[in-house]
Amino acid sequence: MVMNFDDLKNEWNADGAEETNISEDMLKIKQAHTPIDIIRRKMKHEFNYQIVALVLMAGIPYFFNFSTNMKMVYMVFYAVTCGFTAYYFFKFYRFYKNSCDMSRDSRKSILWFFYEMKLNIELYKSLTYIIAFIGLAFFAVYLFVEKASIFTKIMAKLSTTYLILNCFISILIIGAITELWAWYYYGKHLKRVKKVVDELDFEN
Amino acid sequence: MKETETIFLSLINQHKAIIHKVSKMYMNDVEQQRDLFQEIVMQLWKAYPTFKGKSKFSTWMYRVALNTALVYFKKDNRKVDKIPLDENIDLIDVIENELKEEKLAYLYKAVQELNSVEKALIFLFLENQSHREIAENLGISEINARVKLNRTKEKLQFIIKKNGYEF
Repeated sequence: MVMNFDDLKNEWNADGAEETNISEDMLKIKQAHTPIDIIRRKMKHEFNYQIVALVLMAGIPYFFNFSTNMKMVYMVFYAVTCGFTAYYFFKFYRFYKNSCDMSRDSRKSILWFFYEMKLNIELYKSLTYIIAFIGLAFFAVYLFVEKASIFTKIMAKLSTTYLILNCFISILIIGAITELWAWYYYGKHLKRVKKVVDELDFEN
Repeated sequence: MKETETIFLSLINQHKAIIHKVSKMYMNDVEQQRDLFQEIVMQLWKAYPTFKGKSKFSTWMYRVALNTALVYFKKDNRKVDKIPLDENIDLIDVIENELKEEKLAYLYKAVQELNSVEKALIFLFLENQSHREIAENLGISEINARVKLNRTKEKLQFIIKKNGYEF
């Protein structure tokens, strides 16, 4: 069989719509599946988990039977954590409510997707870093205040270089876990959108 | 709201062929075509408040439909898109007596080997859009649209020839 583009064009244009009628039910059938909608849904789930985590964290001083001083220290750290979380949640909420104008040209629409996703993934990572470091700082204070005798003994046995090296490695591990988690959870969607941006931007 | 919905449904039903064609261009599997179709309808409905009537409804639809298809992903990462033409004989069997439809069926199969931007270019070309219109819809320069389209047509020709057709 012989084909050419003119034939194909004619047949394409002669090909009418199928019988299926678009009903009002179709306007509310299912969740959207664009990458940004997927990321939004994941962020909503994370938001719920973090609320539960914050509520559970409020009970930690009682669960571990902290001293009065330690409880006060904990509450300061807890308040700082809640403050940062609230700030980032506000940002995520704005991202969640912000919708893309899909009627712009493809490049503009897709670039919007890409930068919104990238910005929010970076926000997500920075919140994770902040919470991890607040947690680490609190743990150090806890050891220093509550377990002072053991802590002093340990510190006396370890060299400064060893301690600095340990801090450095801990930071690296936190960084690697955060980056890997963000990549696993959100990065693959970003990569797919980036591919389309690159295809559009590719100059022949 | 009900009135808006009715107007929207009436408009979209007049131009539903656009959504069908975009769905077939971007998804090989019937189930996934249906999902993409629904997704486009939903995105059109979400974007409808932005339609101010400055352009034709169909022009606005092209953009929303294509933009949705360009960023639409299924969980299984569209593995079915890679099925070679010959392995999907059943679809061809159903319409083997309809030579014209067979040509279109082969076209739909062949475009699965193109990337998403190339699919958009071929779609707009088949919809009789000029280079300038294609460039405006995709947000690229007219020269770039022309060069990209020519390369995509060559690529498509090669794919169709590879699958046993004269072109």
